[in-house]
Amino acid sequence: MSDTRDPDLTTYRDVQLSPDFSELRRRFRRFVFPMTALFLVWYFVYVLLAAYAHDFMSHKVGGNITVALLFGLGQFVSTFAITLIYVRWADRRLDPDAEKLRHQIEGEAQ
Amino acid sequence: MSPAISLSAIGLVVAATIGIGLFGLRISRTTSDFYVASRAVSPRWNASAISGEYLSAASFLGVAGLVLVNGADMLWFSVGYTVGYLMLLVLVAAPLRRSGAYTLPDFAETRFESAAVRRICAGLVVGIGTLYLLPQLHGAGLAVQTVTGAPPQVGAMIVAVIVVINVAAGGMRSITFVQAFQYWLKLTALAAPIFVILLAWHQPTGVLDSLHGAAAAWAEPLSRAGGRDHPLYATYSLLLALCFGTMGLPHVLVRFYTNPDGRAARRTTVVVLALLGLFYLFPPMYAVLGRTFAPDLVASGGDTVVLELPGRVFPGTAGDLLGALVAAGAFAAFLSTSSGLTVAIAGVIDQDLLRSRLREWTGGDYIAVNSFRIAALIAMVVPYLAFTVTGSLSLADTVGLAFALAASTFCPLLVLGIWWRRMSTTGAAAGLVVGGIAASAAALIHVAGAPQGGWPRALVGQPAAWTMPLAFITVIVVSKLTPDRIPAGTARSMVRLHTPEAVDVDRGLPPR
Repeated sequence: MSDTRDPDLTTYRDVQLSPDFSELRRRFRRFVFPMTALFLVWYFVYVLLAAYAHDFMSHKVGGNITVALLFGLGQFVSTFAITLIYVRWADRRLDPDAEKLRHQIEGEAQ
Repeated sequence: MSPAISLSAIGLVVAATIGIGLFGLRISRTTSDFYVASRAVSPRWNASAISGEYLSAASFLGVAGLVLVNGADMLWFSVGYTVGYLMLLVLVAAPLRRSGAYTLPDFAETRFESAAVRRICAGLVVGIGTLYLLPQLHGAGLAVQTVTGAPPQVGAMIVAVIVVINVAAGGMRSITFVQAFQYWLKLTALAAPIFVILLAWHQPTGVLDSLHGAAAAWAEPLSRAGGRDHPLYATYSLLLALCFGTMGLPHVLVRFYTNPDGRAARRTTVVVLALLGLFYLFPPMYAVLGRTFAPDLVASGGDTVVLELPGRVFPGTAGDLLGALVAAGAFAAFLSTSSGLTVAIAGVIDQDLLRSRLREWTGGDYIAVNSFRIAALIAMVVPYLAFTVTGSLSLADTVGLAFALAASTFCPLLVLGIWWRRMSTTGAAAGLVVGGIAASAAALIHVAGAPQGGWPRALVGQPAAWTMPLAFITVIVVSKLTPDRIPAGTARSMVRLHTPEAVDVDRGLPPR
């Protein structure tokens, strides 16, 4: 499929070049990529702590509950929290912008 | 353990699975129903179904077994399975839905405008699916063997036959209902014995205290308790495979298409993560209790600990009943995951291999749905043959290899394909081939007979940490070298992937 045979070519290129489209993508990347990096770092640091900060991780908080156990449960809790944050962000920030872009594109098409 | 009670429990699960599947038959009439349930499944149903499908033999039996044998490191399996979903959600779910493609090969073809890349993807879907189905069949064999003493082929054959019948009869719509039911069955089956065991003790903490002395080393992270070398490398590699492999699993991805819109897809994921987190509380408890009540299972790999624990704790009728419940839950796990995988693999075999040939042979006189049914049969026969030639496998380890293969092939294709404008078709193909060969070679060596120890064993058993970067670097370097092979329609693809679904841009492939 070649673009030269596509009558809608200009619409696609216009959208691609439009500041709103770039802004939408940039906003998405600026939120999602750092967040992904951050939570990956958190998982990987846990493993490092388990390997090298042995005394800290096996410190007993009470009974047989160790720091490692609490952090381990925290992995699940934080995964869930990150998901909630992302979903709220997408509902509040991403969808309205996308909607705006949609109106623009459909407005131009008419 | 009393075989009669367990067998009737397994029989009930099988009957319910077929029954709900037949109910689905009446409402699945179109091709779209078959593949994506007409994109009309509500978030709550869909979340139960996704969780039901995702929690395989590896989660139900394998995680508890690995923790029992190898200690706390193996808890990463359950964390990784959950995080994989999050990665899928934030990085690829929304753009992929917008691409309008039903399957990974569809996506590859529209994005890279190449039939060759499409064919490579189709082959990889079949490869990953087969590697994932293999431990399901092994799990089924193991479960029936543990309960009745029958040879492993019996359980594997039961699962294979039921899945093919169900998938061929109802496609995705009926599978959705079946899997939603199976999630709740699995959770109940796994949770009930634990609650009964804890209630039966007047002081449940006494159990934990008794563990503390004997198993202190085992409970430490990175303890090498099970004789695994290089635990830090292995844990990182496993974590990478699970985080980045989930997005490339064929049966997981297709699920995001069964939501009505992107917003519902996000809602679904939140519920999925809650359901998965709830489920994963229980396998480690089996492992901990297993250390006290069934320490002999450590030597045999531990995959039967979930099935055997109730009988060990309560010899007699109570143990039989709880054991039957667990066996039923295990069967739900094999059936639901295998069904989802078979739908996904059959979809690809149907579209990419079978349909054009059927059209040739029959001179156009065929029905699309029949081609799908034949594909479903093929999708199950291949892993069954693989099952008959492989010996005993660690369930969760083998599933880990399927994740590693997905992370080394589809992850670079999706992440770079969605976000990097200068990715060339040649680069995409090279990355898939290099990552695919590296990871599947490691998987084959591991399944056929792993090296004895040290680095070779670690690198082959957990390949993602080297195969995934290798695939990413290959894509980037080859794309830089072949700038003239950047797809002509990249601008169009990027607009399609990154503008909201409601916008009426051409989404490429029409529903077939």
